[in-house]
Amino acid sequence: MLLLAAAAVAGNLWFHLVESVLHGVRKLFDRGKEPPVWHPLPPEKEEKNDV
Amino acid sequence: MGFFSKLFKGPEIDMAKSDANAKKMRALFNQVVEDGDRYQLIFGYTEDVSRFNYGFVHGSKTKIGNLIVGWNEADETIVAVPTVPDLSGCGDPTYYRRSQILKAYRNKYPTDAFVIYPDKKGYIAINAYDWLEDESLYVYVSQDKELAAFTDFFLHRFATK
Repeated sequence: MLLLAAAAVAGNLWFHLVESVLHGVRKLFDRGKEPPVWHPLPPEKEEKNDV
Repeated sequence: MGFFSKLFKGPEIDMAKSDANAKKMRALFNQVVEDGDRYQLIFGYTEDVSRFNYGFVHGSKTKIGNLIVGWNEADETIVAVPTVPDLSGCGDPTYYRRSQILKAYRNKYPTDAFVIYPDKKGYIAINAYDWLEDESLYVYVSQDKELAAFTDFFLHRFATK
């Protein structure tokens, strides 16, 4: 049982290590690329309260 | 008895949160689509499945993409706007006009998705449910009526086969 847990932890650590290395490599290639167009959510219009 | 019936009832939808998100979806959609109010909206998502093999660790990864999907029955047009689960912003819209697409159909297996081929080069598969609870992956919105309306439009007006 402990062996299985250790294998699961080791496997997860290895997966995340490889993913972070690949992410770094991808960033090197994407340096010159323009970021994708993004439109933030417009602020809510304040309701005018009649006094 | 009351305790157990509540236990087995399942999760209850927070309608206030759902309505707030529906308003945000409308605000985002109208910001990027001309005459946005002419379109009805639902929340949909895409699933990109890829395989990986890192030596002794291998498997598959699923990347979820969130979409605000608008449709106009008169124009037979579907518009997909990429977004994120918290609806903090969106990308540019993509228009799918029935007169210009290659084909469109509803897939049943392996996933229940609305598939559109704009041309031979690629396709988009839009998944949609009446409500999804996981806010880290999907927009929290209740949409059973809207989904039924979209399904009816897609199957009877938009699908090419």
